[in-house]
Parts: sequence; structure tokens; C-alpha cells
Amino acid sequence: MALKGVKVLEFAGVAPAPFCGMILSDFGATVLRIDKVQNSSDLDIDVLANGKKSLAVNLKTSEGKDIIKSLAKKHDVLLEPFRPGVMEKLGLGPSVLLEENRKLIYARLTGFGQEGLYCKRGGQDINYLGLSGLLSMFGRAEEKPTFPVNLVAGFGGGGLMCATGILLALFERANSGLGQIVDCSMAEGASYLGSWLFRSQELPIWENKRGENLLDSGAHFYDVYETKDGKYLTVGAIEPHFYEQLLKTLEVEDVDYFDFKKGKDVFKKKFLEKTRDEWNDIFAQTDACASPVLGIDEVADFEGNRDKFVKKDNGIVIPKPGVKLSRTPGETQALKKRPRVGQDSFEILKGLGYSEDKIRDFNSNGIIKTYT
Amino acid sequence: MALKGIKVLEFAGLAPGPFCGMILADFGASVLRIDKVNNNTNLDVLSNGKQSLAVNLKSPEGIDIIKQLSKEYDVLIEPFRAGVMENLGIGPKILLENNPKLIYARLTGFGQDGPYSKRAGHDINYIGLSGLLSMFSRVNEKPMFPANLAADFGGGGLMCAMGILMALYERTNSGLGQIVDCNMVEGSSYLGSWLLRSQKLPIWGNKPGENVLDSGAHFYEVYETKDGKYVTVGPLEMQFYKELLDGLELEELDYFDFKNGKEVLTKIFLTKTRDEWSKIFDEKDACVFPVLTAEEATEHKHTKCNFMKDETTVIPKPGVKLSRTPAKTTAFKKSPQCGEDSIDVLKDLGYSEENIWNLCKKGIIKTHKSKL
Repeated sequence: MALKGVKVLEFAGVAPAPFCGMILSDFGATVLRIDKVQNSSDLDIDVLANGKKSLAVNLKTSEGKDIIKSLAKKHDVLLEPFRPGVMEKLGLGPSVLLEENRKLIYARLTGFGQEGLYCKRGGQDINYLGLSGLLSMFGRAEEKPTFPVNLVAGFGGGGLMCATGILLALFERANSGLGQIVDCSMAEGASYLGSWLFRSQELPIWENKRGENLLDSGAHFYDVYETKDGKYLTVGAIEPHFYEQLLKTLEVEDVDYFDFKKGKDVFKKKFLEKTRDEWNDIFAQTDACASPVLGIDEVADFEGNRDKFVKKDNGIVIPKPGVKLSRTPGETQALKKRPRVGQDSFEILKGLGYSEDKIRDFNSNGIIKTYT
Repeated sequence: MALKGIKVLEFAGLAPGPFCGMILADFGASVLRIDKVNNNTNLDVLSNGKQSLAVNLKSPEGIDIIKQLSKEYDVLIEPFRAGVMENLGIGPKILLENNPKLIYARLTGFGQDGPYSKRAGHDINYIGLSGLLSMFSRVNEKPMFPANLAADFGGGGLMCAMGILMALYERTNSGLGQIVDCNMVEGSSYLGSWLLRSQKLPIWGNKPGENVLDSGAHFYEVYETKDGKYVTVGPLEMQFYKELLDGLELEELDYFDFKNGKEVLTKIFLTKTRDEWSKIFDEKDACVFPVLTAEEATEHKHTKCNFMKDETTVIPKPGVKLSRTPAKTTAFKKSPQCGEDSIDVLKDLGYSEENIWNLCKKGIIKTHKSKL
């Protein structure tokens, strides 16, 4: 696999960092999650931890810090999600760890970044998205902006952007032999992810208010429509030849491409005449850029999607790695077990050269937590 | 820079491919865009700093040029429907045989096989099929898509760039290239891994728009202010929720009563302007921040360092910072005219001036007037 042999230390945090670690893990890296000793597996909500290991260690003790320092010397990538200054205060900041291991790639994934007015404040995806300039572009006219759950900042501008930065640094290291800091802020990452949205604003497709443009639900030929059975279809027939096919398939005439309002009225009525799947059958024979909106419960069984997902016994749907490498493909780790907190503490410390007595000692003193 | 010396052939297409090429360019790669000879307009707003060769791919001489280029380049990115490159005689099999180190990236909507692979589509269709769009809506409304961000750029351009970097890194070990196959349906689903895989957690379970993170909860929402602008509110954790109530001068507001919470907060936020609220919440750690337009984001005290401006165009800075080998945005460099570099490129390949002139006359290549 592409990242075979790459070892990652992932400090436990909420979803964006685990997602970043998951991507690296899906492509062959070994990921060790650093948990707090007081973390209980019963409250384990990290759904992206499958296939990772767990060391539970008390970072406030000098012995605990020593363990991390030893690990940092033997790992390729460290990923931490804490507010700026936290790792430095623990004595595990980048200048310390990079001095001990110059090949280390020290990745920092935060909402607001390492400096600036908000960098010490709490925040969530919705806040970062609001500050990125993007949220102001999302939402129907006459409604308040709509946010796509926590996809854009947490995962797009966050986890995936950070993974990209780590890979850039890994590649660069193959040439230079040196690591560096990879600093990813979700607010900034989200803006960069939306580069085209910003930089295309001078094009005629963005002349109107939010929700009245070509790509933001203004146009009748680029929108979601409800069907007879309360399900939905997407229509994306931007190019004139697809638009013609759309009109033909819907059996409507005289709907001017530029008359968004009339177009919406006509299409809205039309789509309510048949069920979503009836429409899908009809559109499957055409090239009109119309296809269904699939719910999570049906996405894995849908005809075009069967090789894109894996289903677990409990019904959870798992997307396979989103990019296929032909010679060294990724492999989802999602069917492996999720680690119990501290399940690998014993093994990890033994690997560092600690004696069994010492390890038991640490366990009793709350320096680490282990699983027997 | 991290990708110094890397050479990329980017076959011109809609926004996802150019965004992928732009990321590589921002981190130091040289990108040559392959245009059609009859391309007159340049709507590609992400092409700054790239070069352009305009060549007729339906001519054997044109195909020869591409074959020669691909022997000297590291990465090829093509956005065409499945089979198009093969039909032209420049599919991955042929080009990888000529250059086993080549990383052949294919960025499509529906992928290289499957029932939809020959159909046209756009971002809205891809996220509809990914399972994600069904999660993006307010209650009792139809799903709302975040413009074309999720599939085109998240699951598409950025995911593909990441795959290319994986392959580049892997090549430093193996010496070999491979195919990087990214389809936007799968890429989007993978980007949304957490959304799909967290479905059994108690934060889900209700209809779209009625859960904690999808606008169901009053403490994770967008609210309109007195001046018709908006704020984001995201205090999921109790310590932040308390500060929210503090800032709003509310004695109590039941965390679990979403409906009542929304009514109360909707009313309160309308009593002051967005910037008045910003001032109040600047003193609190309540996860309340303004929704900024693109323009405002370039001037806001925290976010302005995330952007640059080119006259009126807003340009997000590269979304991940590498400390030792930082990116440098290409956005201020010139955008190439179609075929601007055709002569230089062919000269570098060893074509004589006479030969180049003949190819021009025959319409095999196009060069920019200024170069004649």
C-alpha cells in the first residue's frame, strides 16, 4: 500500500483529526491513537478508529511525556488537534520534538489556526464555515444560509486538507530527509477548498443575490425537485444540449433557459407527476443530468454504487477509499475492530524498552492505562 | 517548495481538474494545460501560473506530441468520460508503457466503469448519489446543496490531488507510477465518511433537519440579525452553551428543547445587528461568530490573513501551511492564453521551427498571436 511503513501518532480529538488519521490508515499507515487515561471506551464515540491502536497515557506526568518523546523519535507523523499552546505547555511542542527527530512531520489541525484573534477560542464547523466566506454563498433565496452539516470545514478544509499537507511533507521529505510542521486551520482550509467559488465571482454566473444564481439554486436546471413519493431528484443540465434533452424527457416545451422563475414552476409541477424511481428509469435512457437523491439507507444498494460501499452487519454504510490507486490501492480499515482505550499501551511500552515491572508500576500510578 | 521539479500535464476541463492542478501548482509543480485548438474563451479562473499548449488531439501528430510529453512529465490529469483517452490512443496502458513512472490521474463524475460511467453529470448529481445530499436540509424542506463545493472540489479536485500525492510518495519508494482514479460520487461519500459511519450515535436518528448537527438543535444553527445579516451559533459543549446564555442574558434555556430554543434564539438575535452581537460575543467563549461574505472575510480582523485580493477578486491563500517548504499562491501570476506556450513546449521537445510552423499551418497546434 502507498503508505506502508509510515507510522502516525494521532492525539485523540473530535472527528476531523480521526478522519485525517483514517485516510492515512486506509492507505497503509499504522496509526496509534494517544488517549487520555481517564477516557473510557464506554464513551467511545470515535467511529473512525477502526484498525488503529490505542495508548492511554497521562500527559501531565513527566513519565508520560517521556513516553511521547520516545514515540515521537520513532514515528513519521504526529497529528494533534489542540488549541495553540497546549502541546507547547506540555513540553511536546514542535520545536522540542523536531529537534529530537528532524524527520518528524508535525501536523496541527485546528479550527482557527495557531495565531490570530480567535485562535484560543472554542469553535465548531459551523463557525469556521461562517468565517470562511463560503456559508454566505450557501442557501436558497429568501432563506437563511444552509450549512451542509459539518462536511466542509471539518472534513474538506480540515481532515482531507491536513492529510494532503502531510502527504506533501512526506513526499518532500523523501527528497530532503527532513520533516516540518504542517499547520491546517479549518477556516482557512475551507476557504482554499472553495477557491473556485471565490475566484469565479467576476464570471456572469454570479451576478445575483444568494440563491438566484446558476449554481446556488437560482436556475431551474440546477436544483433539487420533489417527486410524487416525497423523494427527490437532482437536475444539473447546465449545457444547452443537456438542457434540450431534459426538456424533451420531461415533455415540456417553451421553457426558456434564462427564465428561472417560470422554469422552476413548470419543473416543480412536472416532477410531482411521477415517483423518483419512475423518473430515474426514464432518465437512465438519456443524457440529461438528472439522477436520484439517495438516502443513507439505500445508497449502498443503488445500482451505480454497489462497488463504492461496504455494509456492516449493524446497517452502517461505509464508503470505500475515495480515490483508487491502481498498483497500491487503499483498503478501508472500517471492518477492523475499534481499539479499546489503552488496549495497546502494554505492547507499545514494551516496544520502547520498558520492563514489565515498570509498565505495571505506571499502570498503578495512573501514568498509563493498559488493558490486560 | 514541496513539489519543486514536478511536472504536470493537465487536460483542460471544468473546475475540478483545474482546481487539482492549481493545488499542485501552489505547492511548486509546473503545470501545462492541454487545450483544444479551437478554444477561444478562457473561463478557467484557476489557471494562473500555468502554461498552455493548444493541440488537435484528433490528429496523429497531435497524439505524438502528447506521447512525447508524457514521457517527460510526472503527472497527467484528465477529466474525460470513461474511454475517451483510450479512443484517442493516449489511455493509461499506452502512456504507462512508455513511461512507467507516470502518475496517470483520472478525475470524473461517475468513474471509469459502472452503469453511469458514460453519462454526463454535475456536482449536484454526484452528491445526490453519494448519500450526502439527503442529509443536507432544514426540516420539511427539500435538500439544499452547498453550491458545487462538495463533489467538484472536496470529493473531486482535492481528493484527486491527495491521491496524486500518495502516488508521488509511493513512487519515491518503488520508482513506479500508476493510475489514480477519482470519481466524484465515491470521493464525496468518502469525504463524508464520518457522516455515514456515525449514524448509530445518538446525535442522529431523526429526520433530516431535526438532529444535532443538521440544523435541528437550536445551539447549532444560523440566525438572522436585526440588519438582515447572520451569525453562526455552535456551542455543543455545556461550558460554551452556558456562555451563550450569558451573552444573551438568558437565565435558562433548556438544552434539550430544540423547538423552544429555536423560537427564543430566533427572536433574540433579531434584536441587535450582527456586528453588535460580534462585539458582545468577542468577550465570550460561546462559539458564536459572524457569517461573513467573501469580501468581508478579506477585511475581518481574524480571517483577513487567510486571503489576498487581486483588485476585486478574493483569493484564499493555500489552505495548509508547510513550515519549511511553504506554498506560494499562483493566483497573481498570469493566466495563459490558449496555446500561449505551444511553440516553447514543442521547441523543448526538439521540434524544429519549420516543423512547428507546419504544424501550426495544418491546425495541429495553435499558438498565441503574440508568439508568431
